[in-house]
Amino acid sequence: MESNEVVIETRNLYYAYEDEKYVLKNINLRINKGEIIAILGENGAGKTTLVKHFNGLLKPTKGEVFVLGKNVKDMSVAELSKHVGIVFQNPDHQLFSETVEKEIEFAMVNFGFEKHYIEERIEWALKLMGLEKYRNRSPYTLSIGERKRLTLATVLSYDPDILILDEPTAGQDFLQKEKIAELMNLLKHRKKTIIIVTHDIEFIVNRVERVILLVGGKIIYDGDKRGALTNYKLMKEARLLPPQVSQISWILYNLGVKLPKDILYTEELLRELLRIYKS
Amino acid sequence: MSFLEGFKFRRKDTRIHKLDPRTKFIIVVVYTVLSLIFFNVIPLFILFLSTIFLIYMAESMNEWKKTIRGMFFFLTIIFILNFISISQNKIDYSLAMVLRFLTLTSIFSFFFLTTTPDELALAIEASGISRDYSLMFTMSLRFVPTLAKDLQTIMDALRSRGLELEKGGFIQRIRNYTYVLVPLIVYEIRRSLMIAEALEARGYGATDKISTYFELRMKRIDYIITVIAIIITILVILLKIYGMLPSWLFIKISNI
Repeated sequence: MESNEVVIETRNLYYAYEDEKYVLKNINLRINKGEIIAILGENGAGKTTLVKHFNGLLKPTKGEVFVLGKNVKDMSVAELSKHVGIVFQNPDHQLFSETVEKEIEFAMVNFGFEKHYIEERIEWALKLMGLEKYRNRSPYTLSIGERKRLTLATVLSYDPDILILDEPTAGQDFLQKEKIAELMNLLKHRKKTIIIVTHDIEFIVNRVERVILLVGGKIIYDGDKRGALTNYKLMKEARLLPPQVSQISWILYNLGVKLPKDILYTEELLRELLRIYKS
Repeated sequence: MSFLEGFKFRRKDTRIHKLDPRTKFIIVVVYTVLSLIFFNVIPLFILFLSTIFLIYMAESMNEWKKTIRGMFFFLTIIFILNFISISQNKIDYSLAMVLRFLTLTSIFSFFFLTTTPDELALAIEASGISRDYSLMFTMSLRFVPTLAKDLQTIMDALRSRGLELEKGGFIQRIRNYTYVLVPLIVYEIRRSLMIAEALEARGYGATDKISTYFELRMKRIDYIITVIAIIITILVILLKIYGMLPSWLFIKISNI
């Protein structure tokens, strides 16, 4: 799936909201086309601040950010947003239209898409997010789960190459989370680059390949998810709870069961336990 | 939103911070009255300088500077509007109005920088206003930074969907901002309903007579300042009415 085409690159990126108080420190990242990445870290670690650089909402205080090979310094948010779609956490901060249809239409109108194309994309997005029956309803009358799906639809509709989801699972029940996971799968097949910002470890275990750990504005880990999620020290430093399966296997290990220390999936744990049981 | 910095309370250990909020409120009233009775550059300039001194005493110059910098646009507008609407003494009058605005902004900034919201609520209640209103007032102050943050989030979300807030003519820009207003209003109404529920869940309004943790106490310095402030104000007003103020106060600076 991965190709070597770099879609987002940061070079020595620093960012400060106020003078000299850096909330991002020396961020160096290369994100390839088609990658599925989770940016993890506790509240205030700088996750959202980092992704806001990817569509130009924030411009680096020091260093450079390149999106699709171009320096963001000279590009407007509108230009960048066409390629980089960000879905923010709280639907109530984003919805304002009279109907669901108009809500989805908004971004495409801003980008100046053709009318027939807009109609086509609205249908596609409504169907994808299961919102067809609400098309003429006011977004404010929808349930929180539906509103969340609507915010996804508003961005997916214009088909950006890179999709950033900020806390997509916050306040979502199991079913909604499954729907978001399904959506990520679909986007993966369409070769989209997906970045999720979250601290929902259980959600990402089966869904991303690469993990970036942010602590106090610095990257402390960037690589394969297993290396981060099964490393007790790193996870503690990032103030995150490792996946439950890993925690169980550590407990068993400390009780004397001869298990490898980097178990990530339920199946792995079961396989190992079966192996020990048989011998 | 940095011009709001000068209206946010900062905990600092200065003599000004230790004053009773009622004393500080009287200082605000005195400054307001004095700056409203004068239309001349020199007295307003003196008033303005003395507010700076008060803010300096409260060690809050940096916050105040941010506010004044943010007010620059308003100051220019005040100057221009006065300049074109007045037929004589154009420069003097416009400058005086700018100074009056600066004085008022600074003295209110002085008050809010040095008075905790709790003290403020107590001071309002002590002056006989019901708790419902004092709470409303202090909560609205408390939520100004929150509101500013919400506004930023909403603008970020809209810009991420390709809205260019600064693009287009005047009408188009106003229309762009209505996109921001709808989610902001809906969100804040929802938030206020939640706060109301949370307040009731914690027993707000259970009894008419409430006890207080902090008590306001006027110290000797408070009485002294209050009395001096009131005497000065009355004296200045009387002198002004009887035309006994020194004439150099009314010199036109455009003649110099």
